Amino acid sequence: MNKTFDRSSGSPAELGRDMALAEALASLDPATEDPNYWFLFRGWVMTGAAGELARRRVIAELTIADVLASWSRTLVPTALLAATIAGTMLLQARDAPSARHVGVEELLVSEVSNETVATLLFDDDATGVVMFVSGGF
Amino acid sequence: MVPSTRYCNTVSNKLSETSTDGELVLRARKGDDIAFGLLVERYQRAVYAVAISVTGRHEDAEDAAQEAFLVALGRLDECRSPDRFAGWLMTIVRNRSKNLIRRESLRETDQVPPGARSWAPMPDRIAETRELRYLLEQALAGLPEVQRQIVLLHDLEGWKHREIAERLELPAGTVRSHLHFARKTLRLALEELPGVPEVLRKVQ
Repeated sequence: MNKTFDRSSGSPAELGRDMALAEALASLDPATEDPNYWFLFRGWVMTGAAGELARRRVIAELTIADVLASWSRTLVPTALLAATIAGTMLLQARDAPSARHVGVEELLVSEVSNETVATLLFDDDATGVVMFVSGGF
Repeated sequence: MVPSTRYCNTVSNKLSETSTDGELVLRARKGDDIAFGLLVERYQRAVYAVAISVTGRHEDAEDAAQEAFLVALGRLDECRSPDRFAGWLMTIVRNRSKNLIRRESLRETDQVPPGARSWAPMPDRIAETRELRYLLEQALAGLPEVQRQIVLLHDLEGWKHREIAERLELPAGTVRSHLHFARKTLRLALEELPGVPEVLRKVQ
Protein backbone atom coordinates (compact mmCIF):
# COMPACT_ATOMS: atom_id res chain seq x y z
CA MET A 1 0.00 0.00 0.00
CA ASN A 2 1.11 3.56 0.38
CA LYS A 3 4.67 3.30 1.58
CA THR A 4 4.90 6.76 3.05
CA PHE A 5 6.28 5.67 6.36
CA ASP A 6 8.13 8.90 6.97
CA ARG A 7 5.01 10.99 7.16
CA SER A 8 4.53 10.74 10.92
CA SER A 9 6.47 13.45 12.56
CA GLY A 10 5.99 17.02 13.65
CA SER A 11 4.23 18.16 16.78
CA PRO A 12 4.98 16.53 20.13
CA ALA A 13 1.31 15.63 20.45
CA GLU A 14 1.51 13.61 17.25
CA LEU A 15 1.44 9.90 17.97
CA GLY A 16 4.10 8.34 15.84
CA ARG A 17 3.24 5.78 13.29
CA ASP A 18 3.24 2.27 14.68
CA MET A 19 5.50 0.54 12.21
CA ALA A 20 4.77 -2.96 13.48
CA LEU A 21 1.08 -2.31 13.15
CA ALA A 22 1.59 -0.70 9.76
CA GLU A 23 3.48 -3.80 8.64
CA ALA A 24 0.67 -6.01 9.89
CA LEU A 25 -2.06 -3.87 8.41
CA ALA A 26 -0.32 -3.98 5.05
CA SER A 27 -1.79 -7.46 4.67
CA LEU A 28 -5.16 -5.76 4.23
CA ASP A 29 -3.83 -4.05 1.13
CA PRO A 30 -5.19 -5.81 -1.98
CA ALA A 31 -1.87 -5.05 -3.65
CA THR A 32 -0.17 -7.62 -1.46
CA GLU A 33 -1.85 -10.32 -3.53
CA ASP A 34 -1.86 -8.45 -6.82
CA PRO A 35 0.85 -5.81 -7.29
CA ASN A 36 -1.12 -4.30 -10.18
CA TYR A 37 -4.24 -3.95 -8.10
CA TRP A 38 -4.23 -0.15 -7.73
CA PHE A 39 -3.35 0.36 -11.35
CA LEU A 40 -6.30 -1.84 -12.31
CA PHE A 41 -8.56 -0.15 -9.77
CA ARG A 42 -7.79 3.24 -11.27
CA GLY A 43 -8.57 1.82 -14.70
CA TRP A 44 -11.96 0.51 -13.55
CA VAL A 45 -12.87 3.87 -12.09
CA MET A 46 -11.71 5.77 -15.17
CA THR A 47 -13.69 3.44 -17.44
CA GLY A 48 -16.79 4.03 -15.37
CA ALA A 49 -16.18 7.76 -15.35
CA ALA A 50 -15.54 8.11 -19.10
CA GLY A 51 -19.12 9.02 -19.98
CA GLU A 52 -19.48 11.65 -17.29
CA LEU A 53 -16.08 13.17 -18.12
CA ALA A 54 -17.02 13.38 -21.79
CA ARG A 55 -20.31 15.07 -20.90
CA ARG A 56 -18.45 17.59 -18.78
CA ARG A 57 -15.98 18.30 -21.59
CA VAL A 58 -18.79 19.00 -24.01
CA ILE A 59 -20.44 21.43 -21.59
CA ALA A 60 -17.13 23.12 -20.77
CA GLU A 61 -16.23 23.63 -24.43
CA LEU A 62 -19.53 25.26 -25.34
CA THR A 63 -18.97 28.95 -26.14
CA ILE A 64 -21.44 31.75 -26.74
CA ALA A 65 -20.76 31.37 -30.45
CA ASP A 66 -21.70 27.67 -30.22
CA VAL A 67 -24.93 28.53 -28.45
CA LEU A 68 -25.75 31.24 -31.01
CA ALA A 69 -24.89 28.88 -33.84
CA SER A 70 -27.21 26.23 -32.44
CA TRP A 71 -29.96 28.82 -32.05
CA SER A 72 -29.37 30.15 -35.55
CA ARG A 73 -30.09 26.75 -37.00
CA THR A 74 -33.74 27.20 -36.07
CA LEU A 75 -33.97 30.96 -35.73
CA VAL A 76 -32.68 31.97 -39.16
CA PRO A 77 -35.18 29.93 -41.23
CA THR A 78 -38.01 31.03 -38.96
CA ALA A 79 -36.99 34.69 -39.25
CA LEU A 80 -36.69 34.39 -43.03
CA LEU A 81 -40.14 32.84 -43.28
CA ALA A 82 -41.62 35.55 -41.04
CA ALA A 83 -39.94 38.29 -43.10
CA THR A 84 -41.27 36.81 -46.33
CA ILE A 85 -44.81 36.64 -44.98
CA ALA A 86 -44.59 40.18 -43.61
CA GLY A 87 -43.21 41.49 -46.90
CA THR A 88 -45.97 39.86 -48.89
CA MET A 89 -48.61 41.33 -46.59
CA LEU A 90 -47.08 44.80 -46.85
CA LEU A 91 -47.04 44.63 -50.63
CA GLN A 92 -50.66 43.58 -50.69
CA ALA A 93 -51.60 46.38 -48.32
CA ARG A 94 -49.83 48.96 -50.50
CA ASP A 95 -51.81 47.89 -53.56
CA ALA A 96 -55.13 48.21 -51.73
CA PRO A 97 -57.05 51.51 -52.15
CA SER A 98 -56.55 53.78 -49.23
CA ALA A 99 -58.82 56.37 -47.64
CA ARG A 100 -58.92 59.70 -49.33
CA HIS A 101 -60.39 63.01 -48.38
CA VAL A 102 -63.17 64.31 -50.58
CA GLY A 103 -64.67 67.72 -50.33
CA VAL A 104 -68.40 68.00 -49.92
CA GLU A 105 -68.67 69.98 -53.10
CA GLU A 106 -66.73 67.39 -55.01
CA LEU A 107 -68.81 64.66 -53.50
CA LEU A 108 -71.95 66.32 -54.68
CA VAL A 109 -70.76 66.45 -58.27
CA SER A 110 -68.82 63.22 -58.59
CA GLU A 111 -69.18 59.57 -57.85
CA VAL A 112 -67.16 57.67 -55.33
CA SER A 113 -66.29 54.13 -56.33
CA ASN A 114 -67.25 51.23 -54.11
CA GLU A 115 -69.04 51.53 -50.91
CA THR A 116 -68.21 54.32 -48.58
CA VAL A 117 -68.26 54.76 -44.85
CA ALA A 118 -68.56 58.27 -43.59
CA THR A 119 -66.20 59.28 -40.85
CA LEU A 120 -66.69 62.38 -38.80
CA LEU A 121 -63.65 64.56 -38.65
CA PHE A 122 -62.72 66.73 -35.77
CA ASP A 123 -63.53 70.35 -36.03
CA ASP A 124 -59.91 71.30 -36.39
CA ASP A 125 -59.19 68.98 -39.27
CA ALA A 126 -61.05 70.58 -42.12
CA THR A 127 -64.24 72.44 -42.24
CA GLY A 128 -66.67 71.07 -44.71
CA VAL A 129 -64.56 68.06 -45.52
CA VAL A 130 -65.79 64.50 -45.04
CA MET A 131 -63.49 61.56 -45.12
CA PHE A 132 -64.60 58.49 -46.95
CA VAL A 133 -62.98 55.21 -46.62
CA SER A 134 -63.40 53.10 -49.64
CA GLY A 135 -62.52 49.58 -50.14
CA GLY A 136 -64.00 46.20 -50.40
CA PHE A 137 -65.79 45.02 -47.30
CA MET B 1 -20.73 17.66 -30.87
CA VAL B 2 -17.83 15.27 -30.62
CA PRO B 3 -15.84 15.76 -27.42
CA SER B 4 -12.37 16.80 -28.30
CA THR B 5 -9.32 16.06 -26.24
CA ARG B 6 -7.46 19.12 -27.44
CA TYR B 7 -8.62 21.30 -24.57
CA CYS B 8 -8.01 18.56 -22.08
CA ASN B 9 -4.48 17.88 -23.18
CA THR B 10 -3.63 21.56 -23.13
CA VAL B 11 -4.70 22.17 -19.55
CA SER B 12 -3.49 18.81 -18.30
CA ASN B 13 0.04 19.61 -19.29
CA LYS B 14 0.09 21.97 -16.34
CA LEU B 15 -1.17 19.34 -13.92
CA SER B 16 1.05 17.06 -11.94
CA GLU B 17 1.10 15.02 -8.79
CA THR B 18 1.98 18.18 -6.88
CA SER B 19 -1.14 20.01 -8.01
CA THR B 20 -3.50 20.84 -5.18
CA ASP B 21 -6.82 19.11 -4.76
CA GLY B 22 -8.52 22.39 -5.57
CA GLU B 23 -6.76 22.68 -8.93
CA LEU B 24 -7.52 19.08 -9.82
CA VAL B 25 -11.17 19.38 -8.82
CA LEU B 26 -11.63 22.50 -10.94
CA ARG B 27 -10.08 20.72 -13.94
CA ALA B 28 -12.08 17.55 -13.34
CA ARG B 29 -15.26 19.61 -13.29
CA LYS B 30 -14.49 20.56 -16.88
CA GLY B 31 -14.05 16.91 -17.80
CA ASP B 32 -10.28 16.73 -17.57
CA ASP B 33 -9.66 13.00 -17.30
CA ILE B 34 -6.02 13.43 -16.29
CA ALA B 35 -7.01 15.63 -13.35
CA PHE B 36 -9.65 13.17 -12.26
CA GLY B 37 -7.19 10.32 -12.69
CA LEU B 38 -4.73 12.09 -10.40
CA LEU B 39 -7.44 12.49 -7.77
CA VAL B 40 -8.27 8.79 -8.02
CA GLU B 41 -4.62 7.86 -7.75
CA ARG B 42 -4.14 10.17 -4.76
CA TYR B 43 -7.08 8.90 -2.74
CA GLN B 44 -7.86 5.39 -3.93
CA ARG B 45 -6.06 3.72 -1.03
CA ALA B 46 -7.59 5.98 1.60
CA VAL B 47 -11.02 5.52 0.09
CA TYR B 48 -10.54 1.76 0.16
CA ALA B 49 -9.33 1.92 3.78
CA VAL B 50 -12.45 3.81 4.84
CA ALA B 51 -14.66 1.48 2.81
CA ILE B 52 -13.18 -1.66 4.31
CA SER B 53 -13.40 -0.17 7.80
CA VAL B 54 -17.16 0.08 7.25
CA THR B 55 -17.93 -2.99 5.16
CA GLY B 56 -15.32 -5.38 6.51
CA ARG B 57 -15.10 -7.29 3.25
CA HIS B 58 -12.73 -6.73 0.39
CA GLU B 59 -15.38 -7.26 -2.29
CA ASP B 60 -17.77 -4.79 -0.72
CA ALA B 61 -15.02 -2.28 -0.01
CA GLU B 62 -13.91 -2.48 -3.63
CA ASP B 63 -17.44 -1.85 -4.91
CA ALA B 64 -18.07 0.97 -2.44
CA ALA B 65 -14.75 2.63 -3.24
CA GLN B 66 -15.35 2.58 -7.00
CA GLU B 67 -18.91 3.72 -6.55
CA ALA B 68 -17.77 6.56 -4.31
CA PHE B 69 -15.43 7.94 -6.97
CA LEU B 70 -18.15 7.84 -9.62
CA VAL B 71 -20.68 9.47 -7.31
CA ALA B 72 -18.12 12.12 -6.40
CA LEU B 73 -17.51 12.87 -10.08
CA GLY B 74 -21.23 13.14 -10.75
CA ARG B 75 -21.64 15.56 -7.86
CA LEU B 76 -18.39 17.42 -8.29
CA ASP B 77 -20.21 20.71 -8.74
CA GLU B 78 -21.65 20.27 -5.24
CA CYS B 79 -18.16 20.24 -3.70
CA ARG B 80 -18.20 23.81 -2.45
CA SER B 81 -14.63 23.84 -1.18
CA PRO B 82 -12.49 22.08 -3.77
CA ASP B 83 -9.47 22.34 -1.46
CA ARG B 84 -11.36 20.19 1.04
CA PHE B 85 -12.16 17.55 -1.54
CA ALA B 86 -10.68 14.73 0.55
CA GLY B 87 -13.04 15.25 3.48
CA TRP B 88 -15.98 15.53 1.13
CA LEU B 89 -14.91 12.31 -0.62
CA MET B 90 -14.53 10.46 2.69
CA THR B 91 -18.10 11.39 3.61
CA ILE B 92 -19.30 10.00 0.30
CA VAL B 93 -17.41 6.72 0.68
CA ARG B 94 -18.68 6.24 4.24
CA ASN B 95 -22.26 6.77 3.11
CA ARG B 96 -21.89 4.53 0.06
CA SER B 97 -20.37 1.79 2.21
CA LYS B 98 -23.19 1.98 4.72
CA ASN B 99 -25.78 1.96 1.93
CA LEU B 100 -24.11 -1.06 0.37
CA ILE B 101 -24.25 -2.98 3.66
CA ARG B 102 -27.89 -1.97 4.14
CA ARG B 103 -28.80 -3.09 0.62
CA GLU B 104 -27.07 -6.41 1.00
CA SER B 105 -28.49 -7.09 4.45
CA LEU B 106 -31.97 -6.53 2.99
CA ARG B 107 -31.22 -9.09 0.29
CA GLU B 108 -30.01 -11.70 2.71
CA THR B 109 -32.68 -14.19 3.61
CA ASP B 110 -31.03 -15.49 6.76
CA GLN B 111 -31.36 -13.52 9.91
CA VAL B 112 -28.07 -11.87 10.67
CA PRO B 113 -27.52 -10.39 14.12
CA PRO B 114 -26.80 -6.66 14.03
CA GLY B 115 -23.11 -6.01 13.67
CA ALA B 116 -22.33 -9.54 12.63
CA ARG B 117 -22.43 -8.63 8.93
CA SER B 118 -19.45 -6.35 9.18
CA TRP B 119 -16.03 -7.77 9.78
CA ALA B 120 -17.11 -11.37 9.56
CA PRO B 121 -14.52 -12.99 7.33
CA MET B 122 -15.80 -15.71 5.02
CA PRO B 123 -14.59 -19.24 5.84
CA ASP B 124 -13.02 -19.57 2.41
CA ARG B 125 -10.80 -16.68 3.15
CA ILE B 126 -9.08 -18.59 5.91
CA ALA B 127 -6.43 -19.72 3.55
CA GLU B 128 -2.73 -19.90 4.08
CA THR B 129 -1.91 -16.66 2.31
CA ARG B 130 -4.80 -14.84 3.89
CA GLU B 131 -4.46 -16.01 7.44
CA LEU B 132 -2.80 -12.85 8.63
CA ARG B 133 -5.43 -10.77 7.00
CA TYR B 134 -8.14 -12.87 8.56
CA LEU B 135 -6.65 -12.49 12.02
CA LEU B 136 -6.34 -8.75 11.57
CA GLU B 137 -9.91 -8.51 10.40
CA GLN B 138 -11.00 -10.38 13.50
CA ALA B 139 -9.05 -8.01 15.71
CA LEU B 140 -10.32 -4.94 13.87
CA ALA B 141 -13.89 -6.23 14.19
CA GLY B 142 -13.69 -5.46 17.87
CA LEU B 143 -13.15 -1.76 17.22
CA PRO B 144 -15.80 0.89 16.69
CA GLU B 145 -16.04 1.98 13.07
CA VAL B 146 -14.47 5.39 13.63
CA GLN B 147 -11.45 3.79 15.36
CA ARG B 148 -11.02 1.36 12.47
CA GLN B 149 -11.01 4.27 10.04
CA ILE B 150 -8.51 6.23 12.08
CA VAL B 151 -6.10 3.39 12.71
CA LEU B 152 -6.17 2.35 9.04
CA LEU B 153 -5.70 5.89 7.76
CA HIS B 154 -2.92 6.61 10.24
CA ASP B 155 -0.96 3.39 10.48
CA LEU B 156 -1.69 1.99 7.05
CA GLU B 157 -1.99 5.09 4.85
CA GLY B 158 0.33 7.29 6.88
CA TRP B 159 -2.06 10.20 7.21
CA LYS B 160 -1.25 12.63 10.02
CA HIS B 161 -3.65 13.43 12.85
CA ARG B 162 -4.32 16.82 11.37
CA GLU B 163 -5.19 15.34 7.98
CA ILE B 164 -7.46 12.73 9.50
CA ALA B 165 -9.14 15.32 11.72
CA GLU B 166 -9.74 17.61 8.77
CA ARG B 167 -10.94 14.94 6.42
CA LEU B 168 -13.12 13.01 8.86
CA GLU B 169 -14.31 16.28 10.40
CA LEU B 170 -13.23 15.33 13.91
CA PRO B 171 -11.28 17.32 16.51
CA ALA B 172 -7.56 16.49 16.47
CA GLY B 173 -7.69 15.49 20.15
CA THR B 174 -10.47 13.02 19.40
CA VAL B 175 -8.40 11.51 16.61
CA ARG B 176 -5.42 11.00 18.95
CA SER B 177 -7.66 9.53 21.61
CA HIS B 178 -9.33 7.15 19.15
CA LEU B 179 -5.97 6.09 17.79
CA HIS B 180 -4.63 5.39 21.26
CA PHE B 181 -7.63 3.26 22.24
CA ALA B 182 -7.73 1.53 18.87
CA ARG B 183 -4.12 0.40 19.23
CA LYS B 184 -4.66 -0.70 22.79
CA THR B 185 -7.74 -2.74 21.84
CA LEU B 186 -5.99 -4.20 18.82
CA ARG B 187 -3.00 -5.24 20.91
CA LEU B 188 -5.20 -6.98 23.47
CA ALA B 189 -7.30 -8.66 20.80
CA LEU B 190 -4.27 -9.91 18.92
CA GLU B 191 -2.69 -11.27 22.10
CA GLU B 192 -5.77 -13.34 22.78
CA LEU B 193 -6.18 -14.72 19.28
CA PRO B 194 -4.55 -18.09 18.63
CA GLY B 195 -2.08 -18.37 15.81
CA VAL B 196 -1.12 -14.73 15.71
CA PRO B 197 2.36 -14.30 14.31
CA GLU B 198 5.04 -12.60 16.34
CA VAL B 199 4.94 -9.48 14.19
CA LEU B 200 1.43 -8.74 15.34
CA ARG B 201 2.22 -9.34 18.99
CA LYS B 202 4.71 -6.50 18.79
CA VAL B 203 1.93 -4.02 18.04
CA GLN B 204 1.99 -1.26 20.61
